[in-house]
This record gives sequence, structure tokens and C-alpha cells, in this order.
Amino acid sequence: MNPVPLKESRALRWMIAILGLVLVLSVTQELARPETTDLISAGTAASTLRRAVPILLAGLGGIWAERAGVVNIGLEGMMILGTWFGAWGALEFGPWWGIAIGIAGGAAGGLLHAVATVGFGVDHIISGVAINILAPGITRFLSREIFAKQSGGGITQSPRVESVGHFDVPFVSGGEIFGWATPDIFGWIDDRGWFVVSDLFAVASGITSNVSWATLLAIALVPGTVYVLWRTPFGLRVRSCGEHPVAADSLGVNVYRMKYAAVVISGGMAGFGGAFIAIEQTGIYREAQTQGRGFIGLATVIFGNWQPLGAFLGSILFGFADALQLRDRTAVHALLLLTGVAVGLIALRSLKRSQPVGAGVLLLISALTLWWYLVTDSVMSELPPVTPHIATLIVLVFATSRLRMPAADGMRYRKGQE
Amino acid sequence: MPPATAVELTGITKRFPGVIANDDVHIRVAEGEIHAVVGENGAGKSTLMKILYGMLVPDEGQMTVGGEVVSFSSPGEAIDRGIGMVHQHFMLADNLTVMENVILGAEPLKRGAIDRDAARSSLEELGASYGLDIHPDDMVETLEVGERQRVEIIKVLYRGAKILILDEPTAVLVPQEVEELFRNLRELKAQGHTIIFIDHKLTEVLEIADTITVLRAGRTVTTVDAGDVTAQELAELMIGGDLPSPSTATHQIDDHVTLSLTGVSVADDDEREALSDVDLTIHRGEILGVAGVEGNGQSELIETILGLRSTAGGSLTFNGEEINDWSVRRRRESGIGYVPEDRHRRGLLLDAPLWENAMLGHQTVEPFARGFLIDRSGARNATEAIVSQFDVRTPGIDTTARALSGGNQQKLVIGREIAADPLLLIAAHPTRGIDVGAQAAVWEELRRVRAKGLSVLLISADLHELIGLADRLVVMLGGKVVAKLDPADTTPRLLGSHMTGADVDNGEPAQ
Repeated sequence: MNPVPLKESRALRWMIAILGLVLVLSVTQELARPETTDLISAGTAASTLRRAVPILLAGLGGIWAERAGVVNIGLEGMMILGTWFGAWGALEFGPWWGIAIGIAGGAAGGLLHAVATVGFGVDHIISGVAINILAPGITRFLSREIFAKQSGGGITQSPRVESVGHFDVPFVSGGEIFGWATPDIFGWIDDRGWFVVSDLFAVASGITSNVSWATLLAIALVPGTVYVLWRTPFGLRVRSCGEHPVAADSLGVNVYRMKYAAVVISGGMAGFGGAFIAIEQTGIYREAQTQGRGFIGLATVIFGNWQPLGAFLGSILFGFADALQLRDRTAVHALLLLTGVAVGLIALRSLKRSQPVGAGVLLLISALTLWWYLVTDSVMSELPPVTPHIATLIVLVFATSRLRMPAADGMRYRKGQE
Repeated sequence: MPPATAVELTGITKRFPGVIANDDVHIRVAEGEIHAVVGENGAGKSTLMKILYGMLVPDEGQMTVGGEVVSFSSPGEAIDRGIGMVHQHFMLADNLTVMENVILGAEPLKRGAIDRDAARSSLEELGASYGLDIHPDDMVETLEVGERQRVEIIKVLYRGAKILILDEPTAVLVPQEVEELFRNLRELKAQGHTIIFIDHKLTEVLEIADTITVLRAGRTVTTVDAGDVTAQELAELMIGGDLPSPSTATHQIDDHVTLSLTGVSVADDDEREALSDVDLTIHRGEILGVAGVEGNGQSELIETILGLRSTAGGSLTFNGEEINDWSVRRRRESGIGYVPEDRHRRGLLLDAPLWENAMLGHQTVEPFARGFLIDRSGARNATEAIVSQFDVRTPGIDTTARALSGGNQQKLVIGREIAADPLLLIAAHPTRGIDVGAQAAVWEELRRVRAKGLSVLLISADLHELIGLADRLVVMLGGKVVAKLDPADTTPRLLGSHMTGADVDNGEPAQ
């Protein structure tokens, strides 16, 4: 292996990108003081991560299914199954069993989708929508049969459930090793209040303190998915089914089996996401608590160009928007400033590429956003809760041009077709 | 001593509903030879190769590979016997790398993961030893057609195939790529591989093959040594001698020009020139036959006249008006009818009832529409009329098109187009894949409408049909009109020579 020149090193580029992002957020934060103090902080970072996990898992689930050529719009329903079964498992056997049973619940939803779309050739969207409608019905029925008879439970919610353990990373966030408390270096720098530097370490501190083991497991699924899909024969076969199933079949790949496996894994991932919401985020099963995260996860699939790392970045973005609206609604106001500047930059880029019409429209949007920021002190109360959805829309509008979906995605495959 | 037999097919018969694709076919392929299988479209070549590769199971007959009797129920079993196939339509996933496409289904392993280094080096080794230039880490979508074909060949070799089937490998290649392919094939032969090569371009076949088997209408005609035969003789064998032609009744053609193309050039989907400088005229009451081996610009010609494809140069005049800028709808409404060659994909909605199918292409005009609404009862009455006039055998007009036999589907399509009373009818392979009775009915109908003054552009692979029906014939080769012939003194043999670009000893010279 030749040494990679530093200039082209991917790791270096990532570090520069992260630093740039922190810098932009820090500057925006300074400009937006004193109304908001939470645009970039340890709390926001931790919350972003926690909010991102279910979206990430739904996104990975989407990647698994779509890489095998099955559109899985039923992720939301599979996630709902994950919330219920996760909570039930956690109540009966403990939180880790809850996660496992949540995964199984989602996988059962995935199996149903696979039987319909792969086995019977039902249109993928129709089957997915059916699962999204079916899942809340099943969970409502099960809640009435089981949770309603328990103290603290009801038709729409479970008794409180215990979460899986948390940890601080040793040496950087004060984690313990064999009972010895290591220093909390990140937290210490965060407290100094140095411009930019403290913000950077605040983010680092936020994502290394009090981290759920389930979060760690979920994030490990990103490289795990990359490894399985791109480095193993199974993964190659799954991807070939999404690109050219007839070719795969002509080489002796069992296309049906691959698709079944991928869609069941997809459902399992979504189920994990649901179980995470119930067990880790809220500590309770509550009806409709997924709030469309399955759909947002599907959006991250597209945003991330059907790549696990892309879906991860997408989930962080949506997680951030979600965290902001929950923690500090005034921060959403500061976000207007950020959006205005960002759109302005994209407009300049369009201008440079001699796309005057696009640039004009973008400049207008940028100017309007900045004007909105300047003449108001806060945004109307309806805006913060829908920030994640608006972010989804904006990102998809700008990201769609360079995307490459699996060639046979969403198409019905029958063995022997030409 | 004659070389050992690599593959022998004995008495292979394969029937599809309504068609016998292979009828008692015999082929013996010797080890280490390049064996060409030639025949017209629909002669059963591809079916035969699919049987040999395990994609189809024969109804009768026996196959031996290396002296052992075999029967394959899947390509996997054929691969295990050392048979590999390079399909006419490449079986490659665009969004995977060359290496991934090659190793798919037979991946080298190291600790449960794909051993990419081993895969890469075995690909490079294969490429080097057969002179096949490939780059394992390129994405397939970035490759040229010739490169894709090399990947397909490597894919087959990677699985250890000793017998390679190539289904019309030159159909998609430009001449330089064909030369490159032939170099590769000779190299493979030199290293002891047996190659079965399907083609209908006779000059190419004679250049590369050692032995040639001719198929016609699903039967083996003969097997000859490539050295003992000329292109003309092959063309004659392919097309056959003396089937009765549909005879032409005398009739009047007037001087009125319905359609004329002047210097029309068109690019195909890959930006190559598909039609170059084509001149054609069709008069009122005339059937103009277009002969040619498929893929020589006929589809582009049709699409250009219909307006589905825009011209790169030249002009189209319909009934005295230039129509280059007209939309498809305007052309259709002003009287261009179209019988597509693939009625399932372009002609019909298979899962829609007949009365809806009868509307297609005419959904904006009476009796099918009233204003912007569909006139249900008008449409149903019109469909009833088509069904009875054109003898479409169906239980009713609410039956789906899928339930009809091929011949009745075709009668519906032709009836639909003729009932709309067009000035020009484009009929592409109007009798392909339908039974003899329906065929006669279609011919009869075309003659009837010609007598009424309709102009017909008839594209067909059936040379007897062309000679029997057409008033004038043109031959297309490589996107050009290479010959204009009078059917009265044309034989299938002469036509075949023009079509395949073989030397012509009489008639007008090919370009």
C-alpha cells in the first residue's frame, strides 16, 4: 500500500469539515447571544446523538432493503412494532432482552413485507403502507390485552421501563476503570469558555459522556453494515439483487433468498430503532411515539445516497434539528441566521457555475431568511417542532441531483424474467 | 483422427404456446473449434443456446457434454459442466465494479470476507493470459460496450468454462471492437476452448468460424465447414428456397406522395448514427417493404416517422406538409397509424380490457372521446365493430388483452389502427409470432386497405412476406438504404445477400 498523501487523506478532510462546522456554529452562537446559549453545547451534542440513533437505525434498515431492491416504506410500521415489543421485552425480561425482542418484532414486520413483495410480488409501496397501517393496530390491540392490565399501563402506554446501562469514556470524559475515576478532560476544557476550542470540546464531551451502550451498538452497525454489504459474499449478492437480479440469477445467486434476508434485516434494524425510542429515549412505550422517524430514516437513505455513512450524517443532521427544537426553541431562531448564510453560500456557488436563475432564487431565499432573522426576536411556536421535517425537505431538494439509487430498486422480480 | 466431441445436441425440440422454437435440432460441436450457429431471427438459435446453458429445459432430445449425457435445470449446472454463456444483452450490474460483477456467486474467501486481493490478481491473470484488457476496480457503468463484453467473457472464464456460448456478440459492437473480439476468440481457441458463436452476419461468420450450422424455422438445415461455403450459399441456406409467396393482385398506385423522407439522419440512444441520409417515398395505395437484418436502423426509421425520435438532419414530408416539428399526437391525428413490432410492450395494455386497448392512440378523437372525456359507449361500440370486422376471437370486449392468443391480439392492434382510417400505416413485423391462419388474415387485410388507397410502410424479417406484399422494396444495412428493388424480379436469396452485405452477383449493387 502506498502512503496516502496528506492532502488527499480522507481522514484529514473529515477533520477539516468537522472543524469548519464547529466554527460556523460557534460564530453563529456568538452572534445570537444572549437569546440563545444552546446552539452548540455538550447538552445539545449529547441530545443530537440520542435523537439521531433511531433515525440512523431506520436509515440503515432502509439501506439494507433498498440495496436488495425492495423499497421499504414500511420502516415506520416496523419501528412501531419495535417500540411495543421493546417495551414489553424490557418489562418482562430486562432492557437488553427488550432491545432483542424489539429487533425481533421489527424483523417480523420485515418478514411480512418480504412475503408480500418478494413472495407474492405485491407493489412495494402498497405493502409498506399496509404495514404502516397495520402496526399501530397490532400494538393498540396488544396494549389493551397486556399493558392495560398492569399498574401504570394503559391502552396507549406501558408501565415505565428500565434503560440499559450508560458509560463515560475513560480519560476524556471522566469514565471509571475498575472503580478509579479518570479525569474529565473534555468537560474541563468546555468549562474554560475559550472561543471555538471550548465549543469543540463541548461537542466531544457531549458525545462521550453518559453514552448508552445501545447507542454504541447502533453506531457500530454503521461500519458493520459497510463491512457486510461491501466486503462479504453475502453483501455482494444482496447488492447484486438490487442492481441486476437477472444477472445475479444467471450466476446461481438465489435472488429470493437474498431479498428475504435483506428485508428481514431491514425490519430488525427498524425494530431496534423503535426499541431504542421506548427503552432509551423515553423509558416508556407510548402510542405514536415514533413520530414519523421511520420516514425521516427513509429520507436519510436518499440523502446519504444509499451509503451507510451518508445515512449516518443525515441522521446527525436531523437529530440536531430535533434536539434544538426540544432543548431550546430560541436556538431555532438562531438557525435562521445559519440557514440564511448557508443558502447564500450555495447561491454564490451556483453563480460561479454560471447558473444565474438558480443563483437568483437562492439569493432571494437567503435574503428573506436573513431579513426574517433580523426583524424578529423569536420564531412562531409552530415552527420549532417541524424543524426536522423542514430540514428533511431542504436537504432532499438540494441533494437529489447527484444521487444514484440501486438500479432495480422497487421493481418486482420474478425468476426467469428477461 | 477427428477431434473429440465437446457438445452434442440430438433431436432437441422445444415448444412454446403456439410456436415450435426448436424442432428436432441436431448439432455436434468438436472440441477446440469455433462453431457458428446461423439463421434468421426466429430461427431458434437463442432458444437452442438457452437450452444448452440450462435456462430452458427441452421438451425432447438429448444433450451430451464431453461424451456424458446431461440434463440441466439451471445455469448453475451448466456452469459446473464447464459451459459459460455471454448473453446478447449483457448481464452486468452497472453500479458494481468489474471485479464484483465477475466474482458474484463464486467469491474467493478469506476469513468469511471476500478476498479482494486474490480476486483482483486472478482477474488480472485471466486478462493477461487471454489478452483481455480489463480493469478490476472500474465501475461497469463507465465502460464502453466492447469492454463490457470482455468483462462478460472474463466472467465466464473465471468460472472455469471450457465451452463458451456467445449470443450475437457482434450485434452491439463497432467494426474495430469486432476485430478485437475476434482476436480474443482466436486466442481462446488457441488455448483449447470451444466456442459456440451465434450470428447472422455472414461475412463475420465466415471470417471467424471453423464450422457452421444453419438453422431455419427451428430446424437444422445443415452443418458445413466454413471453408466449403460462400456467403451467398449461406444466405440461401438461411432463407430457404421456395416457400409460396403471398401473391400480389394488380392494382393502381397513383402519383400522390403520402410520405417522403429526404436526407434524414438520426442518432441512436448511444449517440451513434442510426440512420444516415435516408431517402424514401411512399405513394398513395402503395406498400413499401423495408428489408434488413434487425438493428440496421429500422426501429429508428419507425420512431423518426412517428416523432418518437428527433432528426439530426433532413426533412420529413407527410401529405405535402413538413412534419419535422410535429408532436407524436399531431402526427397520429393527421393520419399515421402504427402497428408496433412488440405488441406486448408497445401495442397493448395487457391487463386492460379490449375496449380500452382499442382506444389507445385514438383516445382524443371520436368515437372514443367527446371533448376531454372518454366516450364509454362510443368506445365500446367501436370496439365491437373492430372485433367483428377483423375477426378477433374473444369472449367479449371486457376480456383483458392478455387472455387473447398472439394472433388475436395482433388482429386487434391492426384493426384498431385501420379502423381509425389513416393515410399511412407503419406495420412493423405484423405477422411475427402469430399462427398461419392469423398471418393470412393480416396479409389479406393489408391488401384490402392498399386497394382503398392507404400507404403502408412494411418492415419485416419474413422475406416472403416482403416480396409477396410489397410494391417496392428497399434494403437497409448499417443505417443506410443500400438497395432499391422491384419485388417482381427479386428472390429471397438476392434479398438475403443485400441484407447481409454479402457480394451480390445480380440486381443493383450494394454500396
